[in-house]
Amino acid sequence: MKKWFSSVVLFIFALSLVWAGGQSEAPGESEETVSQEVTIEFWTTQTQSDRMATIQVLVDTFEALNPNINVKLVAVDENDMATQINTAAASNTLPAIIESDTESIVAFGAEGLLNSEAISGLIESIGPEKFYRGALSLNESAEKGVYYGVPYHGWVQGIWYRADWFEEAGLEPPSTWENILKAAEYFYRPEINQYGILVGTKAEAYTEQCFTQIAMANGAQLFDAQGNLIFDTPEMREAVEYYAELAKYTPPGPQTWRARDYYLQGKMAMFFYSTYIMDDLALESDAQDSLTNSNFADLEGKSFDPELVENTRVATTISKTQEAGYGTILSFGIPAHGDELKTAAAVKFLSYLFTPNAYVTWLHMAPGGMNPVLKEMAVNPRFQNDPKGIFQHYGKEKMAEIIQGLNSIETFSIVEGKRMAAASTIYSKQIIPQMIYRITQEGMEVDAAMDWAEMEMRKLME
Amino acid sequence: MFAQRMSLQEREKVLGLVLVTPAVAIILSLILYPIIYNLYLSFFDVNPMAGNTYVGLENHRNVVTDPTFWKSVFTTIVYVFSTTIGTTLMGLLVALAMNRKFPFRGVVRSLVLFPYVAPVISVVFSWQFFFDPVNGIFMDLAYDKLGLFSSRFNLIGSPSTAVWVAIAFSIWKNFPFSYLMILARLQAIDETLYEAAEIDGASGWHKFRFITFPEVYFVMGAIILLRVIWNFNKFEEVFLLTENVRVLSVYTYYKAFVGTMELGQGASLAVIQFILLIVFILFYVKRVLKW
Repeated sequence: MKKWFSSVVLFIFALSLVWAGGQSEAPGESEETVSQEVTIEFWTTQTQSDRMATIQVLVDTFEALNPNINVKLVAVDENDMATQINTAAASNTLPAIIESDTESIVAFGAEGLLNSEAISGLIESIGPEKFYRGALSLNESAEKGVYYGVPYHGWVQGIWYRADWFEEAGLEPPSTWENILKAAEYFYRPEINQYGILVGTKAEAYTEQCFTQIAMANGAQLFDAQGNLIFDTPEMREAVEYYAELAKYTPPGPQTWRARDYYLQGKMAMFFYSTYIMDDLALESDAQDSLTNSNFADLEGKSFDPELVENTRVATTISKTQEAGYGTILSFGIPAHGDELKTAAAVKFLSYLFTPNAYVTWLHMAPGGMNPVLKEMAVNPRFQNDPKGIFQHYGKEKMAEIIQGLNSIETFSIVEGKRMAAASTIYSKQIIPQMIYRITQEGMEVDAAMDWAEMEMRKLME
Repeated sequence: MFAQRMSLQEREKVLGLVLVTPAVAIILSLILYPIIYNLYLSFFDVNPMAGNTYVGLENHRNVVTDPTFWKSVFTTIVYVFSTTIGTTLMGLLVALAMNRKFPFRGVVRSLVLFPYVAPVISVVFSWQFFFDPVNGIFMDLAYDKLGLFSSRFNLIGSPSTAVWVAIAFSIWKNFPFSYLMILARLQAIDETLYEAAEIDGASGWHKFRFITFPEVYFVMGAIILLRVIWNFNKFEEVFLLTENVRVLSVYTYYKAFVGTMELGQGASLAVIQFILLIVFILFYVKRVLKW
């Protein structure tokens, strides 16, 4: 009896060892075609459940067409992408496809984590001339024609503001440094729970997005055309000081994009945001989760303001010494995991996502927020006829203007047409947001904070 | 065969060894191995892409010469000390109250457990909503209705106040555990002790001081020890509620995985945290629990 029992225990133990040993897959058994059964992981930054559901529909359709390929969809927060990729690379568990902002894609590519050959091949097969030039060149490596990622969709950032309040107060639209500050000061009335402007003050990507546009407007850069770090310039210092000044008119404490809710509740005059806000402004069903819950009847801002969309305008460029626009292109990258079978499957899946049906389905997840990077898709009548009626609401011209804006996006990582990979690394490590957090929340002096940031940047570039 | 040549005692011994082997193997591979590997990493400049370079004690030196590290040690001490005292006292008070007879005692006793069993993430969201500077009920009451403060402020987000919210949260979330342990002990105290004390003319305080307290002393001692160990290593409650409270575990996470990833220093921090905790446990077990 005991002998029987102990041998069962031993057997189970041995079995568990075998199972654990079988967990790591043998890499490198490759074939060019996708004739073998293969499972690929697809990391997306579209973490909202409704978007996940839409992408899953696309995945299911693709799997039905390609029975040999299984696609596993994984949601990764945009702020965690760098950490996740670096740890996955260290543990040899890189996914087959990632979807992320282009800055991060370029940073990963520069670190040697991406398969630029496969992606460049895909771009070649789609036809580079079909893309908006600006969107594609953001993905280009220092070598011409070699790309780290393929652009897929993008958004444009601007300052959205209460045109009716501005008109009443006789203020100019917030498209210059001076006008923005003046209005922020004017509308900041914390005693009645009303705030001037929302700029990011949390150590997150949103903060860097707001800051970049402001700094660009003053001609501040991280690098010169020779690739030298030029962070400590009078222009940059002015931008940091100006940003810290604006932060005083932001709702109290560390804030991020989520505070846009206060605007939808009628408690704020201006906020930095992408074109993703268009459906929340126009449609009650989308605005719902930004409004205070109707269970708390005494709290202000609980109901939808149907006139808000009429009373809201957007300033997509800001100027001080020059005009600056900002936005983000989301791109796909294929990590360099060395498994050719998975790479082939990934390329196949990405090609599928560029077919008109799949592309339109994806873009319609967030009309206004997700804009196409292929020229012919922008004028596709099916794309322009979105189920939420956003195109109808804002008019085709306004939408065309926004999509055009994707062509003129500027970032710290391209100086005079040259790729500064280190700037993307600095972006993905969130050095500037951390600096802004220290200044605005921890009361650090601008000088000390900028010194700290420069030291961190130099550490990264070593 | 072979087994038949062994005596019964020897066979028992072999069976015992066979039975503990899986557990030992799991502990070795999942607990001891990571600890030793972490110790090993703390002597290296860790770079997942390029490989590790041996740097001796440099990581440890960098960590202890960094003022932000000492700030985080201080925050951790404040956090652990306040939450341990808070949860234990609160647990004791509630247990004493629940030990008396009153209507619906059974229902109330189980309701008190709610904070402890509720999922962290869902109560964190309620607390964040509660303390939101613009829409939160707390500011609505304290500023608009009662006029306690001169302006609205972000209690849960500002670095100076966040630690106190984290402490209050931890006390609220974890006191039911102390309450449960103490109540169980209270119920085991012999009623005759109190009756005898009453005959001798003891007051309520005297009954608590000389009967109840000695009876629950070792339970409370054990609870305090557990709470210190748990809260010293606490990550999720603090990190989810507010990213501004840099207790050692959160500080280590930021050091190791955010921004310029200093994995070697992260490993070194974990070692230092481990040593600090071991020193405390040894001292405490000897002095307070008198083992």
